[in-house]
Amino acid sequence: MKSLPALALGLALAVPATVTFAQDDTLVIGRSASTNALDPGFLREAATVVDNIFDTMVMRDEDMNLVPGLATEWTSINDTTWEFTLREGVTFHNGEPFNADAVKFSLDRVLDPENNAPTISYIRTISSVEVVDPMTVRITTSAPDPLLPTRMSRYPAYIVPPQYIGENGREHFANNPVGTGAYRFVDFVPDERVTLEANPDYWRGAPDIGTVIWRPIPDATARITSLVTGEVQLIENVPVDLVPLLQQTPDADLVQVENGGLTIYLGLRMDKEPLDNVLVRRALNHAIDRESITQNLLGGLATPKGSQVGAADFGYLDVPVAEYDPELSRELLAEAGFPDGFEITMQSSFRYMKNAEVAQTIAQEFEDIGLTVNQETMEWSVYTQTVPFEGPIYMLGWGSTQTLDADAAVYAILKSGEPYSGASIPELDALLDESRSTVDPEARAEILEEIQELAADQVPLITLYQEDQLMGKSPNIEFEGRADARIPVFEITMD
Amino acid sequence: MKGLRFLLSRAIQGLIVMFGVSLLVFFALFLTGDPAILMMAPDSTAAEIAAFREAMGFNDPIIVQYGRFLVEALQGDLGTSLRYSRPAMDLLADRLGATALLALSALLWSSLLGFLLGAVAAVRKNSPIDFAIRVISLLGQAVPVFWLALMLIILFSLNLRWLPSSGYGSFEQLIMPSLALGAYYLSAITRLVRSSLIETLGENYVRTARAKGLTEWRIVVRHALRNAMIPVVTLQGMYLASLMGGALVTEIIFAWPGIGRLAVEAIQNRDFPVVQAVVLFAALVFVVANFLVDVAYTWLNPRIRL
Repeated sequence: MKSLPALALGLALAVPATVTFAQDDTLVIGRSASTNALDPGFLREAATVVDNIFDTMVMRDEDMNLVPGLATEWTSINDTTWEFTLREGVTFHNGEPFNADAVKFSLDRVLDPENNAPTISYIRTISSVEVVDPMTVRITTSAPDPLLPTRMSRYPAYIVPPQYIGENGREHFANNPVGTGAYRFVDFVPDERVTLEANPDYWRGAPDIGTVIWRPIPDATARITSLVTGEVQLIENVPVDLVPLLQQTPDADLVQVENGGLTIYLGLRMDKEPLDNVLVRRALNHAIDRESITQNLLGGLATPKGSQVGAADFGYLDVPVAEYDPELSRELLAEAGFPDGFEITMQSSFRYMKNAEVAQTIAQEFEDIGLTVNQETMEWSVYTQTVPFEGPIYMLGWGSTQTLDADAAVYAILKSGEPYSGASIPELDALLDESRSTVDPEARAEILEEIQELAADQVPLITLYQEDQLMGKSPNIEFEGRADARIPVFEITMD
Repeated sequence: MKGLRFLLSRAIQGLIVMFGVSLLVFFALFLTGDPAILMMAPDSTAAEIAAFREAMGFNDPIIVQYGRFLVEALQGDLGTSLRYSRPAMDLLADRLGATALLALSALLWSSLLGFLLGAVAAVRKNSPIDFAIRVISLLGQAVPVFWLALMLIILFSLNLRWLPSSGYGSFEQLIMPSLALGAYYLSAITRLVRSSLIETLGENYVRTARAKGLTEWRIVVRHALRNAMIPVVTLQGMYLASLMGGALVTEIIFAWPGIGRLAVEAIQNRDFPVVQAVVLFAALVFVVANFLVDVAYTWLNPRIRL
């Protein structure tokens, strides 16, 4: 049904544009999802917009190194205490001064169980925040937490103005945010737009682009059309099948952030037969031709992987991709006592790149080694209710691009008992716990590498490939995309 | 007296329908699963999810939750959106204007043109022009709205660059969504006006009018059309009612900030209170529209007195 309009769109795109829309220093960004609210402590969505209004104490530069933000330096005083020295002379957009009280207020309100912050898990290791002096903050964690500086670089750790929120309340703040960031809030019309304007007094210098308008355009074809016609200059989420359209028009460029997307894997319910048998898990692992899937089905917009950990993550180990060897798979199955295969259910949704097609291909490859596969494909909101409780095989994507640390890539999906984990390997659990209580970076990296080696050997889940992150932009925009999927307009320039 | 009793019985029927809808929407949503897991960040612990569930009241017996829901709904409080942290009624009210604008404009142009085409086709029955109108109206109903919408975008935005491809706020941005949405209704109204008019033109009183020497157009406009309008008004009432619940596909494709898009996103994110609010609102509009159609009937044709 979709192919006919896409074909026609392709024909239309092949004709170069004759009219270009007027450009000033306004950047319009087309998003796939609507903005719901703008309080960075209580987000239930990606922080793409608030990223530009607020700052964190720690930031990431374009190469994803942790660099000073609202804190100029931070040190670990002992195993459980970190001290942050704050930047002098920073004010919020309403003139309120930035100081240690603001930091304490910002973190405490997320940690307060009364407030039910949806992302409390991101900073739950914090036990207290203490104001040492107006420009110094000490954060104590309940156990050693090597990731604390990383946690301070993402939501919900944005610093918000205590006085403003105290006077106006949280609901007002969520619709009229005030931060210290490069852009000031102008207006927010739900489902229509969020408008921001440059903060000329920004502590990193005045931004290049004067006004930013974020527009939700849920339909992918409509999003690409508005990019080509010049109504917007940057778009998120380009579906794989529409990539050729962007490549053939002179009016738009594809922004491809290699390995900037999720790592797709097959989750396995290890408590259900026959997936409790490591031989069976290995057999499945070798039955999949990842190279063919990523090249032929996904057009080279994903990379086969041997580890869930991203190449840019702290603690990454270059685990070789499991070889495609159906003969070996059949032998392993026979050795495990299943010479004639078995019947199994595989669940998937429509969330990821060509999700249904990939699942179909894998199901066929499993049938090639003698299995009978019942495929269940579900709508996403239903899928998240069943995964990973049913399975026993389920396709999911997981990412660590927000923290760029191996912990985010493995803990939640490999530790037994975690909501999204189907794995249960005691040795692996012990290592995962150890990694969370080891502060010394080198020792921690070693443990994280051990985890990946063990996972490659025991196959608690089947790692498939990592998607690229795909965006589209006008030719007059300078933006390469970022591995952490953010869109910091401060770093974008426009001719 | 008779009319009043009729209206009263209709009102009671409407209330029963609304109660049934509230039961259905409430329980259907709960049968499909746990909203707490979806609402929380993916790496939340089981304990955090449980705490959230408790705070949101998802742990109470379902009948208690329904009772609470019903009492609050009667007071105009349909709960707070889980995603927006704002009252669901406010979210709905915010988007009512956009949906009403789209619905009314689509219905307006399609009705005007539909009456004209339908009347011409009826008067020139079986002529080439009738044939052409019938083919066009058949196509209008056969073409899916998403396809038509994309074709309009490709023609007017990409090739001609006359109209913005999506968005809300200006007259230019209204044209394509209104065209795409109204095409179906244009066809339906044209066909109905045509067949209804052909029927009335065969009635005795029309023959009398002809015998009096009135011109054909005068007969059509002054006498036949009024009677032919009865089924058309019913149709329009129902169309308007269904359109006020939001035009899902059209609103998504044109990024139109209406109720349909709100509904789709609420369903995708399991935002219970918003889904409930949208469905209840759509049902209410339907009940009210039905009622108004009944009233319109009696005005158009005094013989209809139930």
